[in-house]
Amino acid sequence: MSPETLYQRITDYANRANPYPLYAELRENGVTRQADGSYLVGTYHEIAALLHDPRISSDSRNRADPSTVPMFRRNSQQAFIGLDDPEHDRLRRIAMRPFGPPHSPGRIDALRADITRISDGLIDEFRDKDRIDVVEDFAYPLPVTVICRLLGVPHEDMPQLRAWTNAVIAGVDVTPGKDEESRQRAGQDARAAMGEYMGDLSDKRRENPSDDMLSALVHDSGPDGRLTRAELMATGTLLLIAGHETTVNLITNGALTFLRFPDAYRLLRDKPELMPRAVEELLRYEPPVHLLPQRTPLADVEISDVTVPKGAPLILVLAAGNRDPLRFDDPDHFDPTREDNQHFGFGSGVHNCFGAPLARVEAQIALNALVPRLEDFQLSEDPPPYRRSPILRGPRHLPIERVG
Amino acid sequence: MQIVVDLNRCQAYAQCAFLAPQVFELHGEEALMFTPTVPDDQHEHVRRAAAACPVQAILVGERAGP
Repeated sequence: MSPETLYQRITDYANRANPYPLYAELRENGVTRQADGSYLVGTYHEIAALLHDPRISSDSRNRADPSTVPMFRRNSQQAFIGLDDPEHDRLRRIAMRPFGPPHSPGRIDALRADITRISDGLIDEFRDKDRIDVVEDFAYPLPVTVICRLLGVPHEDMPQLRAWTNAVIAGVDVTPGKDEESRQRAGQDARAAMGEYMGDLSDKRRENPSDDMLSALVHDSGPDGRLTRAELMATGTLLLIAGHETTVNLITNGALTFLRFPDAYRLLRDKPELMPRAVEELLRYEPPVHLLPQRTPLADVEISDVTVPKGAPLILVLAAGNRDPLRFDDPDHFDPTREDNQHFGFGSGVHNCFGAPLARVEAQIALNALVPRLEDFQLSEDPPPYRRSPILRGPRHLPIERVG
Repeated sequence: MQIVVDLNRCQAYAQCAFLAPQVFELHGEEALMFTPTVPDDQHEHVRRAAAACPVQAILVGERAGP
């Protein structure tokens, strides 16, 4: 088929369960211009270079064709994920102060006991069940509970936040469909509502501080000053959504992959100390974020003999780079002992995932707790039903059942 | 357990300072300090940190010497 239709085929929901043959086709074709004028990159070394290239903007408002800029980016305060330096750096630096080193080096490590307790509690609840949905029973409630605790969001507000999150994710979805405008509008409304919620919560924490990250953020004053209310709303919304959505996929993909490959499963069951490396391999082999759709060159940029013009949508298919045989030996093999595993599971460069250490700790603890429980279980269906998004790709449900 | 960090590779992603804060420490936003001889109760933390390093700059040896 024509390389010009690759993006359309990758985003087509029919290919969600197994996009990897399309990624191989993308790598074969090199940098490919799509019928809509966007450019796709799926080879490891080219993606790595672009992620470190200051000419490549993360702010899609730099696009030449305004219709390719998502609605929510047009007229509100942006979170740092969609901004360039120095603004990105300033906002990210302020958000990092209450989250990690050098100012709060112990915050994530201190969550380990809590994460273990939450994870064990969830597993206890399905101890006697013969059928489990790994997503609803485990992979979703764990990171949600953890991010609420970290930020200081009351757990009882989670159903409302889940509804907003789903609308926001649907709003940035690039799956072809007729309802795109209404989805974008609903996503924008949900984002605004969530921003107000985070703004109000920040006000409360300013009055009555607790030991959570939001309280620390509103009371902190470093050399870069404090976030404005609008910046707090955008940053809080980003941390809350990105702080759990992707981890759900990582944990679910772990369970799915272990059940698909019994040799890897037995290895991890017998040697739980291998889990940190297994999680890195999962981040390579089945990453929670498959592509970055918002990059834009600020000047004409040459990428392996193709000129990508200034202002064109540039789409980096991280999950294709993760399977590039020019970078990884036997890339389609899941190897929990893989050495030299510099994957794009958390991106790379200045925008590398802010929450990566939290995701790592959660996935390591969750999967080590889950593995012994999977002993007598098999997948009820393979492939499982997938969520709609080709960007945040993962199963919507992962039904498993006791054997025999 | 002994560790060496290749500071030519290190790009200050700081994953080690999150995952093993008693062994790896950031001074300012980029300078990494670490304890080359790892205390016994930190071995697991250091293995996790080494696995997580995005540029694979942490070398872990189980004992000192060649």
